[in-house]
Amino acid sequence: MKEILRLEHIQKIYGNEGNITKAIRDISFSVEEGEFLGIMGASGSGKTTLLNCISTIDTVSAGHIFLGGTDVTELKEKETARFRRENLGFVFQDFNLLDTLTISENMALALTINGTAPGEIDSRVRKMAETLNIADILEKYPYQVSGGQKQRCACGRAIINQPKLLLADEPTGALDSHSAQMLLATMQGIHEQLGATLLMVTHDAFSASYAGRILFLRDGEIFTELRRGNGSRKEFYEKILNVLTMMGGGANDVSETRL
Amino acid sequence: MMYLKLVFRNVRRSLRDYLIYLVTMTICVTVFYAFLSISSRYYQPDVGAEYNLSFLRDGMRAAIFAVALLLLFLIWYVNRYMLKSRQKEFAVMTVMGMEQKTVGKLFLAETFVMGLVAVGLGIVLGMFGSQFITAMLLSSYGKSYEISWMFFPDTVALTAAFFAAGFLLVGGFHFRSIQKIKVIDMLYGERYNEKSIKKSRFMPGMALVYEGMLFIMLWQGLREMRYYFDSRMAVPVHILFWGNILVPVAAILVSLVWVFRRRKWKWENFLAVWLVLAILNACLAASVPGMKKRYLLPFDNGTINCYLLFLVADLVFIICSIIYLACSFLTAWKEKSLVHKYTGENLFFFGELMTKLNTTTKTMSFICLTLAFAIFLFVAVIALAGWASGYLESRSMYDVQISSAYNNVYEEKDLPKGDYELVTAFLQEYGIETAYDSTFSLYLPRREEFHQRSKYDFPVAAISLSDYNAIREMLGMEKIALKENEFTTQWRISADGEFKEEFIETHRELETDEGKVYLAETESYEESIGQMLYNSYTDVLYVFPDEVCRGLLPVARNRLIQTTEKLSYEEAVELERRFQKEYPEENQEGAAWFIRTNTHQVNDSKAETFIMRASMMYGAMVLLVICFTILSMQQLSDTRQCRYRFGVLWQLGVEEKSIDRLVRRQLGVWFGLPVITAVVVSGIAIVYFLQMISVEIAAYIGYDVLLRQTGAVAVVLVSLLLCYFFSTLVLFRKMVLR
Repeated sequence: MKEILRLEHIQKIYGNEGNITKAIRDISFSVEEGEFLGIMGASGSGKTTLLNCISTIDTVSAGHIFLGGTDVTELKEKETARFRRENLGFVFQDFNLLDTLTISENMALALTINGTAPGEIDSRVRKMAETLNIADILEKYPYQVSGGQKQRCACGRAIINQPKLLLADEPTGALDSHSAQMLLATMQGIHEQLGATLLMVTHDAFSASYAGRILFLRDGEIFTELRRGNGSRKEFYEKILNVLTMMGGGANDVSETRL
Repeated sequence: MMYLKLVFRNVRRSLRDYLIYLVTMTICVTVFYAFLSISSRYYQPDVGAEYNLSFLRDGMRAAIFAVALLLLFLIWYVNRYMLKSRQKEFAVMTVMGMEQKTVGKLFLAETFVMGLVAVGLGIVLGMFGSQFITAMLLSSYGKSYEISWMFFPDTVALTAAFFAAGFLLVGGFHFRSIQKIKVIDMLYGERYNEKSIKKSRFMPGMALVYEGMLFIMLWQGLREMRYYFDSRMAVPVHILFWGNILVPVAAILVSLVWVFRRRKWKWENFLAVWLVLAILNACLAASVPGMKKRYLLPFDNGTINCYLLFLVADLVFIICSIIYLACSFLTAWKEKSLVHKYTGENLFFFGELMTKLNTTTKTMSFICLTLAFAIFLFVAVIALAGWASGYLESRSMYDVQISSAYNNVYEEKDLPKGDYELVTAFLQEYGIETAYDSTFSLYLPRREEFHQRSKYDFPVAAISLSDYNAIREMLGMEKIALKENEFTTQWRISADGEFKEEFIETHRELETDEGKVYLAETESYEESIGQMLYNSYTDVLYVFPDEVCRGLLPVARNRLIQTTEKLSYEEAVELERRFQKEYPEENQEGAAWFIRTNTHQVNDSKAETFIMRASMMYGAMVLLVICFTILSMQQLSDTRQCRYRFGVLWQLGVEEKSIDRLVRRQLGVWFGLPVITAVVVSGIAIVYFLQMISVEIAAYIGYDVLLRQTGAVAVVLVSLLLCYFFSTLVLFRKMVLR
C-alpha cells in the first residue's frame, strides 16, 4: 500500500518562556492510502491539536508532516489555503455548514472554490447526495434538517472534491445515538466503496470501533496502537475499552448498550 | 473602588471596539454645538444697528432642540447595540455573584463615561464647526467673515446638559432592562438563533395601503378627465390624462386577479408587476408640473399638491418593494446563470446577501426612505433659502412702503384716501431725512370693474405715467414716455412668460372711462419695482398717460419713501406700531392698509431664512448620521455569525485575499443598495420639486448657483458616507479576520 501521510517527531508547544504547555511532545506515525485511522485519547491528550497541525490550520513547533509527498510544515502561509482545498476534506463536530446556503449549495461551494466548471457542479452534487441518501433534502436549509442529515451533508462537502485525506474531528459528538450510528455507517461506506483515506479523532470508543487502526494518545504522546485485523467490531470495541481502562480514563467512555 | 477600576478598564477596551459609537456621538455633539453656538448670549457679531438677532436666537434654539429629539433615538439605538454585544460578559459577572443591579450600574457608568469622551471631543470639534455656521450667518446678513475664537459657556453647558440628560435617560431605560433580563437569556443571547426565512407582515401591509392610494389616484384621474380634458390637447397630454386613469385601474385589476389566483401566482411575482406599474405611475405623477407648464394645463395648486402626495406614495412603495424584492431578483438571476452562481465564492456571497436582505427588509426600507428624505431636504433647503432671499430683494426695495387694498370696500366713498401725514410727522420727530417720497393712486380703467371681486377676474389696476416715472427715478431707472392715448405694461418678476405673451396679444387696445388707449411700441417693462404695486391676484400693472388717469376711479392710495439713512430696528418697529394703530391691516368692513419697512422686513426674513436653512440642514445631517449609523451597526452586530461563516470558508481553503475581497463586496452592497436607491428616488422627487418652483428658481436663484450648491451637498454626503463605510470596513475586517 502507498503511504499517504507521514508524521516525523511532531512537537507543539504553547505559551512563552515562563509558562510552557507541551500539547504534543513527540509523535511519529504514518497512514496508508485507503486506511481508516482513529485517534483516541482523553481531553487534553493533544488529539485535536494533532488534527489541526495535519490540516494546516495550525503550525507545528518541531518535526515534519508529509502529505502525498509534500512537507506541509514548509508551506508558506499563502500556499496553505490552496493546499487545503486541493488535498483535504473536513468533517467537524458542529457540522460547520453555512446557514445562508441550502444543503446542495453547501456541497457545491466546495466545488466552486476549487474552480470546477459550473456545468458539472449540479450533476456531481446530485450524485454525491444520492450516495449519502440526502437527495430529498437538497433544497432545504441546514436549520430545516436533522443533525444526522447535516453531518452527512458535511461529509458530502468534504469528499466531493475527492481529497487525498478526509479529516473528521469528533463527527458524532453532536449527534444522538441513532444518528451517530447512521453517520458512522456512512463513513464506513465512504471508506469501503469510494476507497477514501480517513483520519478520525474521537474520544468515543463506539465511534472508534469503526476504524481499522487506532492510535491512543496520552499527554501528547502515542500511548499505544491497536489494529482491528480480521476480528469483529464487537471484539475490537472490547479491546478498545481494555486499552482505555489500562490508560486510566476509559471507564467513563463505556457504553455497552449501544453495541 | 474596584468597580470604578472596572468601569475605566472596560471603557478603555471598548474605545477600540466601539469606534462607530464614538464617531456617531462625536459627530452629533459637533453639529449640535456648532448650530447652537449662534444662539449663545455671548455671541454678538457686528451685523449693524438695523438688525436684531433675538428672534433668530429663539428660533434657532427651538429648531435645534426639536431636531435633537432624533438624537435621543440615536443614543438609545447605539446603547442597545452596546448592551447586546456585551450581554454575555454581564451574564458571566452575574453568574459570578454580582447583583444584576450592580451590573446595570456598571453599564450605565460605562456608557456615561464613553458619552463624556464623545461630548468633550464633540465640543472641541464643534468650535471649528461653529466657524462655518458663523460664516453662513454673516454672509446671510451681507457681512464679510472674520475668524472669531469665542468660547461660549452657555452653549457648552447646554450641550453637556442635553447629552448628559440623554445618556442618563437612555441609560436608565437600559439599566431597567438589564435588571429584568434572565441570566440564561443573557448568557446565550449571542448564540446564533436559526432564523426562519418567513417574512413579516410589513410588505403585505404596505401593499394594502398602496391599494387604497390607487383608488384615490383613480378617483382623482377621473375627476381631472371630467373637468379639464379636451380632445384637442396634444398627444403627451392625452397620455397623461389616460395614464392617470389606466395605470391605477391596471394595478387594481392585477391585485384582484392575484387575490383569486394566489395559490398559482407567487406573491413576489405579483409584487414585481406592481412595482413596474408604480414606477410608471411615479413617472406620470412627476411629469404633471412639467406638462402643466409646457401645455398650459389649467391644473390648480390643489391638483399639483395632490400629485405630489401621489408621487410620495409611489416612491415609498417603490423603495419598499425594491428592497423586498432584491432577494427575489438575486435568486432569479442566480438560478438563471449557472456561470455566475458557480464562479469562485459567488455562492457564498449571494447567500450572505440574501440572508441579510431577508431578515432586515423593514429596517432597510426605513433607512432608504429616511436617506431619500434627507437628500431631498438638503437640495430643497438650497432652493427654498435661495428663493426666500431672492424674493426678499425684490419685495423690499423701499425703506418705507405703504399700500392699500379695497378688497372689502363696497362703496366708492370708503376707498382709501389721504397722504399718510402721520408718517411724515414721525420722520420729522425722529429727524429722519428722505431722499425720495412719492404718494400716488392706482386706478381702475373702467368704473364698473370696481365690483369684480372674483379671484380669477380681479381687474388689472393702472398707474399714471408721472407716478410711474417717479418710482423709476427712485429706483435709479430711466424715465419712460408715452404718446397720447398710449399705454404700456409693468410686470411682476415671477409672472409666467407664456401668460404674459398671451395677455399682451389680447390687450393691444383697452376700453377705459376716458376712451380707448392703445399699446405702445414698448409693450412691457419687467424691471422689479416691488411686489405691492399690483392689484390683488394680478401680475401686471397698466401705465396710462396722466390725462387719462385724471378721469378714472382711484381705488388704492400708496406711498413709497427712500430715506437717506436706514431706519434702525427700533425706529422701524415704532413706525409700524403707530401706523397700524390708525390704519389697520385686517379690516373686514373697509379698506386695508399695509406698511412695510425695509429694516424690519429684511431682519425678519433674514432670520427666518437662516433658521429654515440651518435647521433643515441640521435635520438632514442628523438623519444621514442616523441612517449610516444603523447601517453600520446592523453589519457589525452580526460579526459573530459572519466570523463563523468566513471561518468555515477559510477552513475550506479560501485565501485570505479572497475573503478580504468578499468582505469589501459585502459591505459595498450593504451600503450601496440603500444609498443608490435613495439617491435615485430622491432625484425623482427633487426633479418634481424643482419643476414646481422652476419660475422662482430662474427668477431668484439661477440654475448655476443651485447646481454649485447641490455639488457642495453631494460632497458632504459622500464624505459622511465614506467616513462610515471605512470605519465599518476597518472594524468588520478586524473582527472577521481576527
